[in-house]
Amino acid sequence: MHRDNHRRLVLLIAPALVLLVLLAVYPVVRVAVLSLFETEYGLDGAVYVGLDNYRTLAGDRFFTRSALNTLHFTVAASLTQVGLGLAIALLLDRPFPGRRLVLPLVVVPLMLSTMVVAAIWRSWFHYDFGFLNALLGSVGLDGVGWLFDRDLTLWSIILVDVWQYTPLTVLILLAGLSAVPREVVEAARIDGAGRWRIFRTITLPLLAGPLALALLLRTVDTFKIFDKVYALTGGGPGLASEVLSLFVYENGFRFANVGIASAAAMVMVVIAGALAAVYATWMLRSRAR
Amino acid sequence: MSGGPVSGLLRPGRIGRLAGWAGLAAGIGLTLVFAALPVVWMLATSVKPPGEYVTTAARLLPETPTAQHYIGVVDAGLLRQLANSLIVTAGATALSLVVGFWAAYALTRLPFPRRLDLVFLALVLVIKLMPPIVVAVPVYQILDALGLIDTLTGLILSYQLYTLPFAIWMLLGFLADIPPDYEEAAAVDGASTGRAMATIVLPLAAPGLAATAVFTAILAWNEFLFALLFINSPSTATLPLAIANRITEDETLWGPLMAIGSLASLPVLIAMAYLQRHLLAGFSGGLR
Amino acid sequence: MPRTLLAAGVVATGALVAPIAPALAQDSLVIAGRDGVYAEAMAWLIDAYAATNPDVSIEALALPYAGLYERAVIAMREEAGAFDVVLLDDTWATEFMSEGWLADLDALGADTDGFVDSTLAVSRYPYGEGTLHALPFVGNVELFAYNRALFEAHGLDRPESWTAVVEAAATIDAAESDVDGVVFRGTKGNPIVTGFLPILWAHGGRVVDEAGVAAFDSEAAVAAVDLFLSLKPHAPEGVELYNSSEVRDALQTGTTAMAIEVWPSWVPALDDPSVSQVVGDVEIIAAPGQVEGPAPMLGSWLLAIPADAPNPEAALDFLSFATAPEQQRALALEIGLPPTRAAVYADADAVDAYRWYPAQLDALENAQPRPRITRWSEIESILGDYLQLALIGEISAEEAVAEAHARIAGALGG
Repeated sequence: MHRDNHRRLVLLIAPALVLLVLLAVYPVVRVAVLSLFETEYGLDGAVYVGLDNYRTLAGDRFFTRSALNTLHFTVAASLTQVGLGLAIALLLDRPFPGRRLVLPLVVVPLMLSTMVVAAIWRSWFHYDFGFLNALLGSVGLDGVGWLFDRDLTLWSIILVDVWQYTPLTVLILLAGLSAVPREVVEAARIDGAGRWRIFRTITLPLLAGPLALALLLRTVDTFKIFDKVYALTGGGPGLASEVLSLFVYENGFRFANVGIASAAAMVMVVIAGALAAVYATWMLRSRAR
Repeated sequence: MSGGPVSGLLRPGRIGRLAGWAGLAAGIGLTLVFAALPVVWMLATSVKPPGEYVTTAARLLPETPTAQHYIGVVDAGLLRQLANSLIVTAGATALSLVVGFWAAYALTRLPFPRRLDLVFLALVLVIKLMPPIVVAVPVYQILDALGLIDTLTGLILSYQLYTLPFAIWMLLGFLADIPPDYEEAAAVDGASTGRAMATIVLPLAAPGLAATAVFTAILAWNEFLFALLFINSPSTATLPLAIANRITEDETLWGPLMAIGSLASLPVLIAMAYLQRHLLAGFSGGLR
Repeated sequence: MPRTLLAAGVVATGALVAPIAPALAQDSLVIAGRDGVYAEAMAWLIDAYAATNPDVSIEALALPYAGLYERAVIAMREEAGAFDVVLLDDTWATEFMSEGWLADLDALGADTDGFVDSTLAVSRYPYGEGTLHALPFVGNVELFAYNRALFEAHGLDRPESWTAVVEAAATIDAAESDVDGVVFRGTKGNPIVTGFLPILWAHGGRVVDEAGVAAFDSEAAVAAVDLFLSLKPHAPEGVELYNSSEVRDALQTGTTAMAIEVWPSWVPALDDPSVSQVVGDVEIIAAPGQVEGPAPMLGSWLLAIPADAPNPEAALDFLSFATAPEQQRALALEIGLPPTRAAVYADADAVDAYRWYPAQLDALENAQPRPRITRWSEIESILGDYLQLALIGEISAEEAVAEAHARIAGALGG
């Protein structure tokens, strides 16, 4: 019986394990090894350089700027999405006619492929014929260089991400709000508590879990940012929207600096691992609760 | 405020409530415009002749609708890319569901030695959170060694990096909710694990499997990075790749672009209509 | 045991995966090509070819510039056998040929009579005399465009030096409210570098020297970057993102007085009243000089066959067809593609359609190629990054030159 259990276990788990080892574990190990070499492709003809690639990265304007931009994007985009998502969720939590129709419409951006989203917004951002500048023009304002003004570019990409993913935080927070007991709120209101007070003392504490979940999910995801930058700006103008994923992509696939690309990828692995640890801790705690 | 007599209609309480309603309506209106306008613009632009969108005027709706862009992109071979996207999506989803179901079944039903189940779960979680670009170079080399570059099979395989951890996590939640009593009873009656899994657990887990399938499918349907890296020919390209190739450096060909965008979005929007109830669980990846 | 499910799973996945393994028909060609006018030309060729070769099926990718380079390099490096024909910028040719990625066309028996020598020279490796690895397809040469009508209205002469270009741009920009002085491609990467190189050369600067060693760090280079930057105040808003279509539109709508970089394939419709508002006004000339005389820059597109091409004989047949005099003439007349056959430039119909053809042939015959080094694409990308950083005002010309030089030296040394 016991041995039988083991055999079943192995048979059931093996396919998943094989796939994950092939696609993730082995590749990460390989990247870690390659990051210690100077190489154009694989380990054939690679030159061992120790930590040189990491030192090169530390002194590289392009890498440091990519890292800072990624941080900027991750923090600004995920915080905006959670803040805006909270406002919209509070709005949609109240009963109003047509609510069942509004909800799916609000969620539509979430369902589109990022490439479709990028195509739409790239058109909207066009300086001469874009919809946004046309709107500004129709009220007598000057056009804005959404994608070529170096102080604005990253914010434009953040705007696109906010548009696409705020619906996710709205969904998470709406689910959280539905768990707030109506009787408690009603009782507080009868006791004369104002709306703000009810929100601060009753709603917000109960929303802490969903808020943390939304923030974590968005942080992890915004950190991966690639598609939008690739399609909207290619990292430009200058380095204004260069991000880590793009840095790895360009060095790994465009210039065949696989050693440098691997070192940068390892930096990303460490950051993603730290985020995963926060995530896992939070999850275990909330499961235990 | 004027100091005239307050009519019954405008008692302070009612003014407050009216203002509240107006604020609510305005807020919802703004939210709707923000969320839906770009999508409406996409659909509208896909049926506009070029002269109507290469313009400085802010017009949303087409004056003389045309199907020319849809005809054009279909002529340019878009149906092939649509078919490729469908094949890759179906293949990646089927593979993830089968393999993910086995893994989730084992994790919820069988005793793991030395808490290896937790190790496995941690691994799945880390992979789910890891930026895919990190492993892009080695995965390219693996596919190359297997002769799977520029094939849909290669995409189906490599998409497991996204879809499998997702499917395992989501199925885990659904399977954990099915009490093991029935299978134990069946086992007493002499049924094998495989049979119990197929005849008892599978039917009970069907709604969960369906929801997981749809969200896994959306992941695969929208994937871009690996398609960009591992696909070369137009005959194996997927829709996101077709779109990216058309956001070229040279032209503002928005009509055809939005026609493809609309076609690519349609299946997902239809799926969403069926799935409203599961939206949240799906998008947060069943990670709670 | 979960045997039933296992079997079901295997059958299901197998059924899904099996029919989609790439089924290459016997006579099918996959071409990696460009978008825009090059895609139009390719589509025209494929149609024409199909008329006489109905049993060959051809599919062509239409990729943006950087996308084509990436895709082609990846396919070559991995020997994936993905393409039968690739369209190459001549700046990539050295890399592709020296790596042994391209088939030997001498051995396959290609005919080279009648091509303009400068375009044939870059089709050989080593440069000029070596083995033939490609056939010249598009005879592009970098030229300069100015709106003569506008110049005359402001009492300006044809610009003979880059300093005169800046002065004319300033004059016209100040005097005309709807017209910018000058336009160029500011997009980072190949575009910005391509516009800049003639300025660098005219100042006597070089990116790499004859021996292939980094030689960018010079006063001439700083002067050239400074001059380049002094054009920006007189250029349209958003020039940092401009590419060929924006440059063409700015020229054809008459909203810009000069374009420092024009390729004949961009502007076949300059004298076509249905798209151009400047019919007969724009002159296309060789780029100005500065301390050195003008040196037109070569930018030809080559058709090559990968060494691992699944179908080399059929590919060569298509190559010969595409570069034959009849097709070169037809493509020039129908699409406006600059030919690589000297005879077409003397063709009466062609000269009728494009009045600048004699001057263009002269420029093409004397055109200088960009450095024939293996890593030019990477060098160009580095240079493009720093030029754009300078263009958006993030670093000075001196910093751009020094940092770009250091990085280029690193890339060449490594």
